[in-house]
Amino acid sequence: MPRDEIILEMRDIVKTFPGVKALDKANLRVKKGEIHALIGENGAGKSTLMKILLGIYTPDSGEIIYKGRPVNFKSPGDALTSGISMIHQEISLVPTVDVSENIWIGREKDFQKGWLIDKNRRYQATEDLLRRLKIQINPRTMVHRLSIAHMQLVELARAISYDSRVVVMDEPTSSLTDSEVRLLYAIARELSENGVSIIFISHKLDEIFDICHHVTVMRDGKYVSDHPTDGITKDQLVTEIAGREITALFPKEEAEIGDVVMEVKQLSSAGVFSNVSFEVRAGEILGFYGLVGAGRTEIMRAIFGIDKLDSGEIWLGGKQIRVKSPADAIGHRLAMVTEDRLRLGIIPNLSVTLNISLAYLKTVTRFLGFVNRSKETGDAEKMVGALNVKTPNMRQRISALSGGNQQKAIIARWLQTNPTVLILDEPTRGIDVSSKAEIHRLISMLARQGKAVIMISSELPEILGMSDRVIVVREGELAGDIPRGSASQEKLLQYAFGTIDTQGG
Amino acid sequence: MNSTNRSSKWKAKFLNFVMDNKALIILMALCAVGFVATNGLFFSLTNLTNVVRQICTSAVIGIGFTCVIASGNLDLSVGTMLGMLGVIMAMISKTALGFWGALAVGIAAGALCGLINGLIGVKLKLPLFIVTLASGQVFKGACYLLSNTSPVSGIPPAFRAVGQGYWGPVPIPIYIMAAVGVSVFVLLNMTAFGRRAVATGGNREAARTSGVNVDQTIVLVYVLMGVCAAIAAAIMTGRAASAQPPAGQGMEMDAIAAVVIGGTPLSGGYGKVGGTLLGCLIVGVITNVLNLAGMDSNWQLVAKGLLILFAVGLDVASTLYVNNKMRRMRKE
Repeated sequence: MPRDEIILEMRDIVKTFPGVKALDKANLRVKKGEIHALIGENGAGKSTLMKILLGIYTPDSGEIIYKGRPVNFKSPGDALTSGISMIHQEISLVPTVDVSENIWIGREKDFQKGWLIDKNRRYQATEDLLRRLKIQINPRTMVHRLSIAHMQLVELARAISYDSRVVVMDEPTSSLTDSEVRLLYAIARELSENGVSIIFISHKLDEIFDICHHVTVMRDGKYVSDHPTDGITKDQLVTEIAGREITALFPKEEAEIGDVVMEVKQLSSAGVFSNVSFEVRAGEILGFYGLVGAGRTEIMRAIFGIDKLDSGEIWLGGKQIRVKSPADAIGHRLAMVTEDRLRLGIIPNLSVTLNISLAYLKTVTRFLGFVNRSKETGDAEKMVGALNVKTPNMRQRISALSGGNQQKAIIARWLQTNPTVLILDEPTRGIDVSSKAEIHRLISMLARQGKAVIMISSELPEILGMSDRVIVVREGELAGDIPRGSASQEKLLQYAFGTIDTQGG
Repeated sequence: MNSTNRSSKWKAKFLNFVMDNKALIILMALCAVGFVATNGLFFSLTNLTNVVRQICTSAVIGIGFTCVIASGNLDLSVGTMLGMLGVIMAMISKTALGFWGALAVGIAAGALCGLINGLIGVKLKLPLFIVTLASGQVFKGACYLLSNTSPVSGIPPAFRAVGQGYWGPVPIPIYIMAAVGVSVFVLLNMTAFGRRAVATGGNREAARTSGVNVDQTIVLVYVLMGVCAAIAAAIMTGRAASAQPPAGQGMEMDAIAAVVIGGTPLSGGYGKVGGTLLGCLIVGVITNVLNLAGMDSNWQLVAKGLLILFAVGLDVASTLYVNNKMRRMRKE
C-alpha cells in the first residue's frame, strides 16, 4: 500500500543525444510502497528516464532525490547497492548455473568458509528469500530449465536480496502467460505491502488499471501528467498519451492509387501473429503502426521469407506465390529495407558500390559468374546521385558514412532490384532531420511511380503524414484499418492500446 | 593554418599507407634483419628463389584459407586433408592413370572433402571450425590407413616435376602458386560468388536478407578450399618425390597466421589474397633466416611461434595506435 512518504523523486531531468532531445524536463514522484505505472508511446523517453535513474546515462541537468537525499548513481551496480534495481525485458541470468548461484552472484564472499563456498548456507539463504517472497522455485534448479516467468521471478528475488526499495520493471508481462502474469501480480502486491515501490513500464492499459496505484504519462521526453489510477479512465489516459500538437508533418505528395498488387490472407506464425490479412495497391503508401513488440516487423519478415510462416497465403498480381527465403522474395520483386540498419542492413567492411549491388547481383552477372563491374559501378553511381547519398567516392567503406547516408544507400540497394512492392521498416529511425525529409520525399516519389509501399513506423507524425491508409497491429493481430481521412493520433493509439475492440475505420 | 592543414593531410595519407601495407613493411623489416643476421647470404639469388619455392605449398593453402576466413569461417582440417590427398595422388599416379589422372582424382577428392565439410556445417547448423576439427581427425586416420603409415614413393617423373622442375629459370611451383593466386583473386573480387562470400562474412544476416544464399556460398567456399588443398598436396608430394603421411599437419595454423598477418580480419568481411602471399613470405623469411643462422630445428619452432605472435601483436597494436591517431586528427 502506498504511504505518504515520497521515496524517489526525479526533477526536471534533461538529456540530449547528438541531434535529439530525449528528455526535456521529465519528472517522476514515487511514494513508498506504491506500484507506479510509467506510460507513453514509443520513444516518449520512459526507458531513457529509467536508464538515468540506474546510472547507465548521466543527465545533462536535473536532480534525483532518493530517501530525501540527492543521489547520482555511477552505474547500475551503484544503484543496486543503494536499493534501486531494474528488471529488464531481456533476462540477464547465467543459464548454466543454478538459481541460488544466480541470486548471490558477485557476493560469494558472504558465504565463504575458508577457501570454499558454503553452498548449504547459500541454499538456505536462497530458500528463506524465496519463501519470504512466496516464490515456489527450487534454489538448486538450473536456470535454463525455468520458464521465462520463473526467470523473471529469480531476477526479482535477486533484486530483493539487495534489499531493494525501488524496483523498476520494464514490460515484465510481455512474454508471460495469463497464470504467470497473475503470479507476478501477486508478488508485486506482496512487495508493495512490505513497503517496496515498483515502477512499472507497460503498454497494457488493463494491466495498469489492475495493479498500479498511480500513473505518470510521458510524451516526447516531457512529463505530461500524473493521476491516481482510480481517478482517471482509459480513454482519458489515451488522450493524454496522444495529445501532441503535430508540428512537423511529412506531407505525402498525391499519387494515383491503382489496382491491388499484393494481398496476404490469414498469415499466422505461432505465438507471434495470427490471422493477418491485408492488401496493398499500386501507388499506395500503407502505414503499419503499433507499439513496439506488437508484431509489425515479424509480419513483414515472414512475408519477405526471412522467418518461417506457419500458414497463410501471399498473392502477388493475382497469383499465389511461395516465399521460402529472401532470394525468393526478390525473385518476385519484393524488397525490404529492414529495421536495425547496423545488424541487418549494411555490410560494414564493404564499399558503397558493393553494398548497393548486393541484392541485384544477378542482373549484372555475365557468363561464368563474372560481375560486369563497370555497369555495377555505373548503376550504383546513378543511384547515389538520384538519392543524394553523400560519399567521398564509390569505394568508400559504407561504415564510414553517416547514418542517414547509410540508410539511403540501403534503400538504393533495394531500388536496384526494381521492386513492385517495397517494404520499409522504420526507415527514418535514428537519422538526422534533413536525411529524414529526403527519405520521405523519396518514398512519395516511389509511390507516384506506381510502386506499392508498406511503411512500418513507430512515429505517429510520420505515419499520419505519409500513409494513404494505416493498419494498426496489436498483440499479433490487425486491430484497425484506417483510411487517411479519418486517421488521427487518438484513433491510432486507441487501436494500439486496445481501447477500441472492433475492426474497421 | 593552411600549412598545418596540409601537413596533417599528408600525415593522414602516410598513416593510411602504413595501415594498408603493414604486411609489406613488416616483410621489409624482416628482410633487413635477415640481411644483417646472415652477412648478406640471405640476399643471394639462390636463397631468395629457395624462400619463394618453400612457401609455395603454404601459400596455396593460405590463398584458399583467405576465402574461408573472408566468409567468416575457419577450416581446421586442411592440414591433414593435404596429407591424405597427397597419399591418394601418389598411389594413383603409380597406376595406369598416371600423374594427370592422379591430379584429377586428387582435385575431385579435395572438392568432395570440402563439400562434405560445408554440407555438414550448414545442414546441421554446426560451427564449421568444430566440424573441420573433427573431420581433420578422420582425414588423418584415413591417410594412415591408406598408406599403411609408410611413405608412398616411386611416383612418376611428371609428378616430381610439379615440385622440383623448372620452366626457364623459375621453379614450376612458383607458376602454380601465381596461377592459384590470380584465379582466387579474380574469383574473390570480380565474380558474384566472391561478392557473396565476403558479404556473408561481413554480415551474414544482412547478406541473407539481401537474397544471398548463404548456405550455398559457404559450401562453395569449402569446396574451393578442398581444391586448393589438393593442389598444395601435389606440389608437396612432387617436391619430396613421395607422399609422407604426416605431411601438412599443423599447416592450418601457419595458414591462419599468414592470412591474419596479410591483413584479412579473422572476423571475416573481406579477403586480401596479395596480403596472404606477403604473410606467407613473412613466415617463410623467418624460417629461412633462422635456418641460415644455423638454429636447431626444434628451437626454430619455438622461435617461429613467438615471431608469429609478435607479428600479429604488432599488427593489432599498430592498428589501434593509428586508429586513435586518426581519430584525434579528425577531431582537430
